Amino acid sequence: MSDQGGSEPIIQYCGIHKAFDVPVLRGVDLSVGEGEMFALFGPSGTGKSVLLKTTMGLIQPDQGDVRVAGESVFYGGPKALSAIRKLAGYVFQNAALFDSLNVLDNVLMGLPEDELYALSRSEAARKAWNALELVNLDPELVFAKLPAELSGGMKKRVGIARAIVGRPRILLWDEPTTGLDPVNTAAVERLIMRLSRELETTSLIVTHDIEGGLAMCDRVAMLEGGRIRFSGSPSQFRASPDPVVQAFVDRAAAEAQLDLAGEPSGVS
Amino acid sequence: MAEVLARPVVGSLRGLGRAATLVAEHAGAIGQLSWSIIVTLVRGRVAWRDIVQQMYVIGFQSLPIALVTASLAGIVTSQQGGYQFTGSVPLYVLGSVVVESMILEMGPVLTAIVLVGRVGARITAELGTMVVTEQIDAYQSLGRDSIAILVAPRVVAGIIVMPLLVGLADADGILVGMFAAKLTTGLGYESFLYGARLFWHSWDLVYSLTKALAFGLAIPLISCHMGLRTGGGAAGVGRQTTASVMFMTLTVLILDALFPPLMLQ
Repeated sequence: MSDQGGSEPIIQYCGIHKAFDVPVLRGVDLSVGEGEMFALFGPSGTGKSVLLKTTMGLIQPDQGDVRVAGESVFYGGPKALSAIRKLAGYVFQNAALFDSLNVLDNVLMGLPEDELYALSRSEAARKAWNALELVNLDPELVFAKLPAELSGGMKKRVGIARAIVGRPRILLWDEPTTGLDPVNTAAVERLIMRLSRELETTSLIVTHDIEGGLAMCDRVAMLEGGRIRFSGSPSQFRASPDPVVQAFVDRAAAEAQLDLAGEPSGVS
Repeated sequence: MAEVLARPVVGSLRGLGRAATLVAEHAGAIGQLSWSIIVTLVRGRVAWRDIVQQMYVIGFQSLPIALVTASLAGIVTSQQGGYQFTGSVPLYVLGSVVVESMILEMGPVLTAIVLVGRVGARITAELGTMVVTEQIDAYQSLGRDSIAILVAPRVVAGIIVMPLLVGLADADGILVGMFAAKLTTGLGYESFLYGARLFWHSWDLVYSLTKALAFGLAIPLISCHMGLRTGGGAAGVGRQTTASVMFMTLTVLILDALFPPLMLQ
Protein backbone atom coordinates (compact mmCIF):
# COMPACT_ATOMS: atom_id res chain seq x y z
CA MET A 1 0.00 0.00 0.00
CA SER A 2 1.44 3.36 -0.88
CA ASP A 3 -1.35 5.76 -0.02
CA GLN A 4 0.68 7.85 2.38
CA GLY A 5 -1.25 11.02 1.67
CA GLY A 6 1.09 12.55 -0.88
CA SER A 7 4.24 12.91 1.26
CA GLU A 8 7.24 10.58 1.02
CA PRO A 9 6.76 7.41 3.11
CA ILE A 10 8.94 7.37 6.21
CA ILE A 11 7.52 4.15 7.70
CA GLN A 12 6.52 1.22 5.50
CA TYR A 13 5.14 -2.07 6.76
CA CYS A 14 5.54 -4.69 4.04
CA GLY A 15 3.57 -7.93 4.39
CA ILE A 16 3.97 -8.29 8.16
CA HIS A 17 2.94 -11.68 9.54
CA LYS A 18 3.20 -12.53 13.21
CA ALA A 19 1.73 -15.35 15.29
CA PHE A 20 1.81 -15.99 19.03
CA ASP A 21 0.35 -19.51 19.12
CA VAL A 22 -2.48 -18.06 16.97
CA PRO A 23 -1.93 -15.69 14.03
CA VAL A 24 -2.14 -12.02 15.06
CA LEU A 25 -0.91 -10.17 11.99
CA ARG A 26 -1.66 -11.79 8.61
CA GLY A 27 0.05 -9.63 6.03
CA VAL A 28 -0.06 -6.00 7.06
CA ASP A 29 0.87 -3.44 4.37
CA LEU A 30 0.83 0.18 5.43
CA SER A 31 2.74 3.39 4.76
CA VAL A 32 3.05 6.48 6.91
CA GLY A 33 4.18 9.66 5.18
CA GLU A 34 6.86 12.04 6.48
CA GLY A 35 5.35 14.69 8.75
CA GLU A 36 2.00 12.94 9.01
CA MET A 37 -0.03 12.34 12.13
CA PHE A 38 -1.35 8.85 11.65
CA ALA A 39 -3.72 6.93 13.94
CA LEU A 40 -4.02 3.16 13.93
CA PHE A 41 -7.31 1.88 15.34
CA GLY A 42 -8.53 -1.60 16.00
CA PRO A 43 -10.30 -3.76 18.56
CA SER A 44 -8.26 -5.02 21.52
CA GLY A 45 -5.93 -7.91 20.76
CA THR A 46 -5.70 -7.26 17.02
CA GLY A 47 -1.96 -6.66 17.15
CA LYS A 48 -1.75 -2.85 16.98
CA SER A 49 0.98 -2.66 19.62
CA VAL A 50 2.73 -5.68 18.09
CA LEU A 51 2.86 -3.84 14.76
CA LEU A 52 4.16 -0.70 16.46
CA LYS A 53 6.90 -2.68 18.21
CA THR A 54 8.10 -4.14 14.91
CA THR A 55 8.92 -0.55 13.85
CA MET A 56 11.72 -0.46 16.44
CA GLY A 57 12.73 -4.09 15.99
CA LEU A 58 11.37 -4.97 19.42
CA ILE A 59 9.31 -7.82 17.96
CA GLN A 60 10.54 -9.82 15.01
CA PRO A 61 7.81 -10.64 12.48
CA ASP A 62 7.54 -14.20 11.17
CA GLN A 63 7.43 -12.79 7.66
CA GLY A 64 7.73 -9.36 6.07
CA ASP A 65 9.81 -6.29 6.84
CA VAL A 66 9.50 -2.73 8.10
CA ARG A 67 11.37 0.10 6.41
CA VAL A 68 12.01 3.31 8.30
CA ALA A 69 13.46 6.25 6.38
CA GLY A 70 14.49 3.80 3.68
CA GLU A 71 16.39 1.46 6.05
CA SER A 72 15.26 -2.10 6.66
CA VAL A 73 14.58 -2.80 10.34
CA PHE A 74 15.11 -6.55 10.10
CA TYR A 75 17.49 -7.02 7.18
CA GLY A 76 19.62 -3.86 7.43
CA GLY A 77 21.95 -5.15 10.16
CA PRO A 78 22.76 -3.71 13.60
CA LYS A 79 23.98 -0.33 12.27
CA ALA A 80 20.75 0.32 10.39
CA LEU A 81 18.68 -0.72 13.41
CA SER A 82 20.73 1.55 15.65
CA ALA A 83 20.20 4.46 13.21
CA ILE A 84 16.45 3.77 13.14
CA ARG A 85 16.30 3.75 16.94
CA LYS A 86 18.05 7.14 17.03
CA LEU A 87 15.52 8.44 14.52
CA ALA A 88 12.42 7.41 16.44
CA GLY A 89 11.09 7.94 19.96
CA TYR A 90 8.74 5.37 21.47
CA VAL A 91 6.14 6.31 24.07
CA PHE A 92 5.13 3.16 25.94
CA GLN A 93 1.59 2.49 27.11
CA ASN A 94 2.54 2.53 30.81
CA ALA A 95 5.55 4.82 30.39
CA ALA A 96 8.04 1.97 31.07
CA LEU A 97 10.24 4.20 33.21
CA PHE A 98 13.32 2.59 34.76
CA ASP A 99 12.45 1.97 38.42
CA SER A 100 15.98 2.39 39.73
CA LEU A 101 16.67 5.73 38.00
CA ASN A 102 15.35 9.13 38.99
CA VAL A 103 13.43 11.32 36.54
CA LEU A 104 16.54 13.15 35.34
CA ASP A 105 18.40 9.92 34.53
CA ASN A 106 15.27 8.39 32.99
CA VAL A 107 14.94 11.32 30.61
CA LEU A 108 18.67 11.32 29.82
CA MET A 109 18.37 7.69 28.71
CA GLY A 110 16.45 9.13 25.76
CA LEU A 111 19.62 10.74 24.41
CA PRO A 112 21.71 8.58 22.08
CA GLU A 113 24.71 7.12 23.97
CA ASP A 114 27.35 8.93 21.89
CA GLU A 115 25.58 12.28 22.37
CA LEU A 116 25.14 11.68 26.10
CA TYR A 117 28.85 10.95 26.60
CA ALA A 118 29.85 14.00 24.55
CA LEU A 119 27.85 16.34 26.78
CA SER A 120 28.78 17.65 30.20
CA ARG A 121 26.41 16.73 33.03
CA SER A 122 25.00 20.26 33.13
CA GLU A 123 24.49 20.37 29.34
CA ALA A 124 22.70 17.02 29.47
CA ALA A 125 20.58 18.19 32.42
CA ARG A 126 19.64 21.31 30.43
CA LYS A 127 18.31 19.09 27.62
CA ALA A 128 16.31 17.01 30.09
CA TRP A 129 15.01 20.25 31.68
CA ASN A 130 13.79 21.49 28.27
CA ALA A 131 12.12 18.16 27.47
CA LEU A 132 10.28 18.16 30.81
CA GLU A 133 9.13 21.72 30.25
CA LEU A 134 7.80 20.73 26.83
CA VAL A 135 5.55 18.15 28.49
CA ASN A 136 4.37 20.69 31.08
CA LEU A 137 6.22 19.25 34.06
CA ASP A 138 8.17 21.38 36.53
CA PRO A 139 11.73 20.00 36.20
CA GLU A 140 12.79 21.36 39.57
CA LEU A 141 9.96 19.48 41.22
CA VAL A 142 10.44 16.12 39.54
CA PHE A 143 14.15 15.86 38.62
CA ALA A 144 15.19 13.91 41.71
CA LYS A 145 12.04 11.83 42.11
CA LEU A 146 11.92 8.10 41.44
CA PRO A 147 9.14 6.78 39.17
CA ALA A 148 7.43 5.20 42.20
CA GLU A 149 6.92 8.70 43.63
CA LEU A 150 5.06 9.98 40.54
CA SER A 151 1.36 9.82 39.66
CA GLY A 152 0.26 7.89 36.54
CA GLY A 153 -0.17 11.06 34.52
CA MET A 154 3.26 12.38 35.53
CA LYS A 155 4.87 9.05 34.64
CA LYS A 156 3.27 9.27 31.22
CA ARG A 157 4.67 12.78 30.72
CA VAL A 158 8.15 11.71 31.84
CA GLY A 159 7.89 8.83 29.36
CA ILE A 160 7.05 11.35 26.64
CA ALA A 161 9.93 13.63 27.73
CA ARG A 162 12.30 10.64 27.45
CA ALA A 163 11.02 9.92 23.94
CA ILE A 164 11.44 13.52 22.72
CA VAL A 165 14.68 14.57 24.44
CA GLY A 166 16.75 13.30 21.51
CA ARG A 167 14.57 15.32 19.07
CA PRO A 168 13.45 12.30 17.00
CA ARG A 169 12.00 12.61 13.50
CA ILE A 170 9.37 10.00 14.32
CA LEU A 171 7.26 9.52 17.43
CA LEU A 172 5.55 6.20 18.04
CA TRP A 173 2.74 6.37 20.59
CA ASP A 174 1.37 3.17 22.11
CA GLU A 175 -2.08 3.87 23.57
CA PRO A 176 -1.07 7.29 24.93
CA THR A 177 -4.41 7.99 26.61
CA THR A 178 -5.21 4.55 28.04
CA GLY A 179 -6.00 4.68 31.75
CA LEU A 180 -6.50 8.43 31.80
CA ASP A 181 -9.69 10.27 32.76
CA PRO A 182 -11.35 12.51 30.12
CA VAL A 183 -9.60 15.66 31.38
CA ASN A 184 -6.14 14.10 31.22
CA THR A 185 -6.98 12.39 27.93
CA ALA A 186 -7.74 15.76 26.36
CA ALA A 187 -4.56 17.24 27.88
CA VAL A 188 -2.38 14.43 26.50
CA GLU A 189 -4.04 14.74 23.07
CA ARG A 190 -3.30 18.46 23.02
CA LEU A 191 0.26 17.66 24.04
CA ILE A 192 0.67 15.14 21.21
CA MET A 193 -0.56 17.68 18.65
CA ARG A 194 1.62 20.46 20.04
CA LEU A 195 4.76 18.28 20.18
CA SER A 196 4.22 16.95 16.66
CA ARG A 197 3.85 20.51 15.41
CA GLU A 198 6.72 22.07 17.41
CA LEU A 199 9.18 19.23 16.87
CA GLU A 200 8.02 18.67 13.27
CA THR A 201 7.82 14.93 13.77
CA THR A 202 5.91 12.16 12.11
CA SER A 203 3.54 10.63 14.65
CA LEU A 204 2.13 7.12 14.50
CA ILE A 205 -0.44 6.69 17.25
CA VAL A 206 -1.87 3.33 18.21
CA THR A 207 -5.10 3.98 20.04
CA HIS A 208 -8.57 2.74 20.72
CA ASP A 209 -9.73 6.31 21.38
CA ILE A 210 -11.40 6.83 18.01
CA GLU A 211 -12.69 10.35 18.60
CA GLY A 212 -9.28 11.54 19.79
CA GLY A 213 -7.51 9.86 16.90
CA LEU A 214 -9.90 11.28 14.30
CA ALA A 215 -9.57 14.77 15.78
CA MET A 216 -5.75 14.70 15.92
CA CYS A 217 -4.65 12.88 12.82
CA ASP A 218 -4.29 13.55 9.10
CA ARG A 219 -4.86 9.92 8.23
CA VAL A 220 -6.17 6.85 10.03
CA ALA A 221 -6.17 3.11 9.48
CA MET A 222 -8.07 0.26 11.05
CA LEU A 223 -6.52 -3.12 11.80
CA GLU A 224 -8.96 -6.00 11.88
CA GLY A 225 -8.49 -9.73 11.57
CA GLY A 226 -4.73 -9.26 11.25
CA ARG A 227 -4.97 -7.04 8.17
CA ILE A 228 -5.54 -3.37 7.38
CA ARG A 229 -9.28 -3.10 6.90
CA PHE A 230 -9.36 0.63 6.20
CA SER A 231 -6.85 3.36 5.43
CA GLY A 232 -7.76 6.94 4.59
CA SER A 233 -8.66 10.35 5.94
CA PRO A 234 -10.72 10.83 9.12
CA SER A 235 -13.72 12.02 7.07
CA GLN A 236 -13.49 8.94 4.83
CA PHE A 237 -13.33 6.78 7.96
CA ARG A 238 -16.48 8.33 9.41
CA ALA A 239 -18.31 7.93 6.10
CA SER A 240 -17.02 4.43 5.37
CA PRO A 241 -19.77 2.13 4.10
CA ASP A 242 -17.82 -0.89 5.39
CA PRO A 243 -20.10 -2.54 7.99
CA VAL A 244 -17.08 -3.73 10.04
CA VAL A 245 -15.73 -0.18 10.27
CA GLN A 246 -19.18 1.15 11.11
CA ALA A 247 -19.72 -1.50 13.80
CA PHE A 248 -16.34 -0.62 15.32
CA VAL A 249 -17.14 3.11 15.31
CA ASP A 250 -20.55 2.47 16.92
CA ARG A 251 -19.11 0.17 19.56
CA ALA A 252 -16.33 2.64 20.39
CA ALA A 253 -18.86 5.46 20.67
CA ALA A 254 -20.97 3.38 23.05
CA GLU A 255 -17.89 2.55 25.16
CA ALA A 256 -16.97 6.26 25.27
CA GLN A 257 -20.46 7.04 26.54
CA LEU A 258 -20.10 4.40 29.24
CA ASP A 259 -16.71 5.83 30.25
CA LEU A 260 -18.18 9.31 30.56
CA ALA A 261 -21.11 8.03 32.62
CA GLY A 262 -18.88 6.07 34.99
CA GLU A 263 -16.29 7.18 37.53
CA PRO A 264 -13.16 8.66 36.04
CA SER A 265 -10.41 6.07 36.02
CA GLY A 266 -7.91 8.80 35.90
CA VAL A 267 -4.67 9.92 37.26
CA SER A 268 -3.59 13.38 38.08
CA MET B 1 -7.05 -54.27 26.28
CA ALA B 2 -3.59 -53.73 24.78
CA GLU B 3 -4.56 -50.15 24.06
CA VAL B 4 -5.48 -49.57 27.71
CA LEU B 5 -2.15 -51.03 28.83
CA ALA B 6 -0.19 -48.99 26.29
CA ARG B 7 -1.81 -45.69 27.29
CA PRO B 8 0.36 -44.98 30.36
CA VAL B 9 3.51 -45.94 28.45
CA VAL B 10 2.61 -43.60 25.58
CA GLY B 11 1.73 -40.89 28.10
CA SER B 12 5.08 -41.30 29.87
CA LEU B 13 6.97 -41.22 26.58
CA ARG B 14 5.13 -38.05 25.56
CA GLY B 15 5.99 -36.50 28.91
CA LEU B 16 9.64 -37.44 28.43
CA GLY B 17 9.57 -35.97 24.94
CA ARG B 18 8.11 -32.71 26.22
CA ALA B 19 10.71 -32.55 29.00
CA ALA B 20 13.53 -33.23 26.52
CA THR B 21 12.22 -30.51 24.18
CA LEU B 22 12.02 -28.07 27.08
CA VAL B 23 15.56 -28.86 28.24
CA ALA B 24 16.89 -28.49 24.68
CA GLU B 25 15.03 -25.20 24.26
CA HIS B 26 16.43 -23.78 27.50
CA ALA B 27 19.93 -25.04 26.72
CA GLY B 28 19.81 -23.37 23.30
CA ALA B 29 18.54 -20.08 24.74
CA ILE B 30 21.17 -20.13 27.52
CA GLY B 31 23.83 -20.81 24.87
CA GLN B 32 22.65 -17.79 22.87
CA LEU B 33 22.58 -15.63 25.99
CA SER B 34 26.12 -16.74 26.90
CA TRP B 35 27.32 -15.84 23.41
CA SER B 36 25.69 -12.39 23.66
CA ILE B 37 27.45 -11.85 27.01
CA ILE B 38 30.82 -12.82 25.52
CA VAL B 39 30.27 -10.44 22.58
CA THR B 40 29.38 -7.51 24.86
CA LEU B 41 32.41 -8.23 27.05
CA VAL B 42 34.79 -8.51 24.11
CA ARG B 43 33.45 -5.25 22.68
CA GLY B 44 34.04 -3.56 26.05
CA ARG B 45 30.40 -2.52 26.39
CA VAL B 46 30.08 -3.56 30.04
CA ALA B 47 30.71 -0.83 32.62
CA TRP B 48 32.99 -1.72 35.55
CA ARG B 49 30.78 0.43 37.77
CA ASP B 50 27.86 -1.95 37.07
CA ILE B 51 30.01 -5.02 37.77
CA VAL B 52 31.25 -3.57 41.09
CA GLN B 53 27.68 -2.70 42.09
CA GLN B 54 26.58 -6.28 41.37
CA MET B 55 29.60 -7.67 43.24
CA TYR B 56 28.41 -5.71 46.26
CA VAL B 57 24.82 -7.03 45.92
CA ILE B 58 25.72 -10.63 45.09
CA GLY B 59 28.86 -10.97 47.21
CA PHE B 60 29.07 -8.57 50.11
CA GLN B 61 25.36 -8.60 50.94
CA SER B 62 25.29 -12.41 50.82
CA LEU B 63 28.29 -12.76 53.12
CA PRO B 64 26.43 -12.84 56.48
CA ILE B 65 23.96 -15.56 55.48
CA ALA B 66 26.70 -17.57 53.70
CA LEU B 67 28.87 -17.45 56.84
CA VAL B 68 25.99 -18.38 59.16
CA THR B 69 25.16 -21.36 56.91
CA ALA B 70 28.81 -22.46 56.79
CA SER B 71 29.13 -22.12 60.59
CA LEU B 72 26.07 -24.33 61.14
CA ALA B 73 27.40 -26.87 58.63
CA GLY B 74 30.75 -26.93 60.51
CA ILE B 75 28.99 -27.43 63.86
CA VAL B 76 26.76 -30.24 62.59
CA THR B 77 29.60 -32.08 60.84
CA SER B 78 31.76 -31.82 63.92
CA GLN B 79 29.02 -33.04 66.26
CA GLN B 80 27.93 -35.95 64.06
CA GLY B 81 31.55 -36.97 63.38
CA GLY B 82 32.29 -36.83 67.10
CA TYR B 83 29.25 -39.00 67.82
CA GLN B 84 30.29 -41.62 65.24
CA PHE B 85 34.02 -41.69 65.96
CA THR B 86 34.07 -41.59 69.75
CA GLY B 87 35.26 -44.99 70.95
CA SER B 88 35.85 -46.46 67.47
CA VAL B 89 38.19 -44.22 65.43
CA PRO B 90 40.98 -41.88 66.65
CA LEU B 91 39.25 -38.56 67.24
CA TYR B 92 41.88 -36.53 65.36
CA VAL B 93 40.34 -37.98 62.17
CA LEU B 94 37.49 -35.58 62.89
CA GLY B 95 39.78 -32.75 61.76
CA SER B 96 40.08 -34.33 58.36
CA VAL B 97 36.36 -35.08 58.10
CA VAL B 98 35.36 -31.50 58.91
CA VAL B 99 37.96 -29.93 56.60
CA GLU B 100 37.33 -32.25 53.67
CA SER B 101 33.54 -32.17 53.91
CA MET B 102 33.53 -28.37 54.15
CA ILE B 103 35.95 -27.88 51.27
CA LEU B 104 34.79 -30.62 48.95
CA GLU B 105 31.05 -30.41 49.45
CA MET B 106 29.39 -28.24 52.03
CA GLY B 107 31.19 -24.96 51.47
CA PRO B 108 30.49 -24.72 47.72
CA VAL B 109 27.06 -26.41 47.65
CA LEU B 110 25.50 -24.72 50.67
CA THR B 111 26.79 -21.31 49.58
CA ALA B 112 25.35 -21.96 46.12
CA ILE B 113 21.96 -22.92 47.56
CA VAL B 114 22.00 -19.75 49.67
CA LEU B 115 22.77 -17.71 46.56
CA VAL B 116 19.98 -19.41 44.59
CA GLY B 117 17.46 -18.17 47.14
CA ARG B 118 18.98 -14.79 47.94
CA VAL B 119 20.38 -13.69 44.60
CA GLY B 120 18.99 -15.92 41.85
CA ALA B 121 15.33 -15.46 42.83
CA ARG B 122 15.86 -11.73 43.13
CA ILE B 123 17.47 -11.44 39.69
CA THR B 124 14.67 -13.43 38.02
CA ALA B 125 11.96 -11.39 39.74
CA GLU B 126 13.72 -8.11 38.95
CA LEU B 127 14.29 -8.83 35.26
CA GLY B 128 10.87 -10.47 34.96
CA THR B 129 9.21 -7.35 36.30
CA MET B 130 11.23 -5.26 33.86
CA VAL B 131 10.00 -7.46 31.00
CA VAL B 132 6.31 -7.27 31.92
CA THR B 133 6.50 -3.50 32.49
CA GLU B 134 8.23 -3.07 29.09
CA GLN B 135 11.42 -1.66 30.65
CA ILE B 136 13.54 -4.12 28.64
CA ASP B 137 11.77 -3.00 25.45
CA ALA B 138 12.43 0.59 26.53
CA TYR B 139 16.17 -0.10 26.85
CA GLN B 140 16.22 -1.55 23.35
CA SER B 141 14.09 1.19 21.81
CA LEU B 142 16.54 3.73 23.27
CA GLY B 143 19.41 1.95 21.56
CA ARG B 144 20.81 0.55 24.80
CA ASP B 145 22.11 -3.00 25.04
CA SER B 146 20.10 -4.66 27.81
CA ILE B 147 22.56 -7.58 27.90
CA ALA B 148 25.47 -5.21 28.57
CA ILE B 149 23.56 -3.25 31.19
CA LEU B 150 21.54 -5.91 32.99
CA VAL B 151 22.89 -9.40 32.30
CA ALA B 152 26.66 -9.30 31.75
CA PRO B 153 27.47 -7.36 34.98
CA ARG B 154 25.49 -9.89 37.05
CA VAL B 155 27.15 -12.91 35.43
CA VAL B 156 30.67 -11.44 35.66
CA ALA B 157 30.07 -10.41 39.29
CA GLY B 158 28.80 -13.94 40.09
CA ILE B 159 31.94 -15.51 38.60
CA ILE B 160 34.21 -13.17 40.58
CA VAL B 161 32.51 -13.23 43.97
CA MET B 162 31.41 -16.86 44.23
CA PRO B 163 34.94 -18.31 44.69
CA LEU B 164 35.64 -15.58 47.28
CA LEU B 165 32.41 -16.36 49.12
CA VAL B 166 33.09 -20.10 49.04
CA GLY B 167 36.69 -19.59 50.20
CA LEU B 168 35.45 -17.61 53.19
CA ALA B 169 32.63 -20.09 53.85
CA ASP B 170 35.12 -22.99 53.76
CA ALA B 171 37.43 -21.27 56.25
CA ASP B 172 34.55 -20.22 58.49
CA GLY B 173 33.00 -23.71 58.54
CA ILE B 174 36.35 -25.31 59.37
CA LEU B 175 37.11 -22.85 62.19
CA VAL B 176 33.66 -23.14 63.73
CA GLY B 177 33.83 -26.94 63.29
CA MET B 178 37.14 -26.95 65.16
CA PHE B 179 35.67 -24.96 68.06
CA ALA B 180 32.59 -27.21 68.11
CA ALA B 181 34.82 -30.31 68.20
CA LYS B 182 36.64 -28.90 71.20
CA LEU B 183 33.38 -28.09 72.97
CA THR B 184 31.51 -31.34 72.21
CA THR B 185 34.25 -34.00 72.12
CA GLY B 186 37.13 -32.29 73.90
CA LEU B 187 39.37 -32.70 70.81
CA GLY B 188 42.25 -30.21 71.12
CA TYR B 189 43.01 -27.74 68.35
CA GLU B 190 46.42 -29.27 67.68
CA SER B 191 44.92 -32.77 67.30
CA PHE B 192 42.21 -31.37 65.04
CA LEU B 193 44.82 -29.68 62.82
CA TYR B 194 47.01 -32.80 62.87
CA GLY B 195 44.08 -34.84 61.54
CA ALA B 196 43.29 -32.17 58.98
CA ARG B 197 46.91 -32.15 57.68
CA LEU B 198 47.11 -35.94 57.62
CA PHE B 199 44.58 -36.31 54.78
CA TRP B 200 45.02 -32.88 53.16
CA HIS B 201 45.40 -32.53 49.37
CA SER B 202 45.98 -29.04 47.97
CA TRP B 203 44.01 -30.13 44.91
CA ASP B 204 40.88 -30.21 47.09
CA LEU B 205 40.98 -26.44 47.41
CA VAL B 206 41.28 -26.08 43.63
CA TYR B 207 38.31 -28.45 43.34
CA SER B 208 36.27 -26.37 45.80
CA LEU B 209 36.98 -23.07 44.08
CA THR B 210 36.42 -24.52 40.60
CA LYS B 211 33.03 -25.73 41.73
CA ALA B 212 32.36 -22.27 43.13
CA LEU B 213 33.28 -20.75 39.78
CA ALA B 214 30.84 -23.06 37.97
CA PHE B 215 28.04 -22.24 40.43
CA GLY B 216 28.91 -18.55 40.22
CA LEU B 217 28.41 -18.73 36.47
CA ALA B 218 25.31 -20.95 36.49
CA ILE B 219 23.21 -19.07 39.08
CA PRO B 220 23.21 -15.57 37.55
CA LEU B 221 23.12 -16.96 34.00
CA ILE B 222 20.03 -19.10 34.64
CA SER B 223 18.31 -16.45 36.73
CA CYS B 224 18.82 -13.82 34.01
CA HIS B 225 17.70 -16.27 31.30
CA MET B 226 14.53 -17.10 33.21
CA GLY B 227 13.85 -13.45 34.05
CA LEU B 228 14.11 -12.38 30.42
CA ARG B 229 11.63 -15.10 29.37
CA THR B 230 8.93 -13.89 31.75
CA GLY B 231 5.46 -13.10 30.48
CA GLY B 232 1.97 -12.79 31.86
CA GLY B 233 2.08 -9.92 34.36
CA ALA B 234 2.60 -10.23 38.11
CA ALA B 235 1.41 -13.85 38.20
CA GLY B 236 3.90 -14.64 35.44
CA VAL B 237 6.74 -13.11 37.47
CA GLY B 238 5.76 -15.30 40.44
CA ARG B 239 5.56 -18.46 38.34
CA GLN B 240 8.85 -17.74 36.59
CA THR B 241 10.68 -17.01 39.85
CA THR B 242 9.53 -20.33 41.33
CA ALA B 243 10.55 -22.18 38.16
CA SER B 244 13.88 -20.38 38.17
CA VAL B 245 14.65 -21.40 41.77
CA MET B 246 13.87 -25.03 40.91
CA PHE B 247 15.97 -24.86 37.75
CA MET B 248 18.96 -23.31 39.56
CA THR B 249 18.78 -25.74 42.51
CA LEU B 250 18.67 -28.73 40.18
CA THR B 251 21.53 -27.36 38.09
CA VAL B 252 23.69 -26.83 41.20
CA LEU B 253 23.03 -30.40 42.35
CA ILE B 254 23.64 -31.88 38.87
CA LEU B 255 26.89 -29.93 38.49
CA ASP B 256 27.85 -31.11 41.98
CA ALA B 257 27.33 -34.70 40.90
CA LEU B 258 29.35 -34.19 37.71
CA PHE B 259 32.41 -32.73 39.44
CA PRO B 260 33.83 -35.82 41.25
CA PRO B 261 34.28 -37.94 38.09
CA LEU B 262 35.77 -34.92 36.33
CA MET B 263 38.19 -33.70 39.00
CA LEU B 264 38.59 -36.29 41.76
CA GLN B 265 39.79 -39.30 39.78
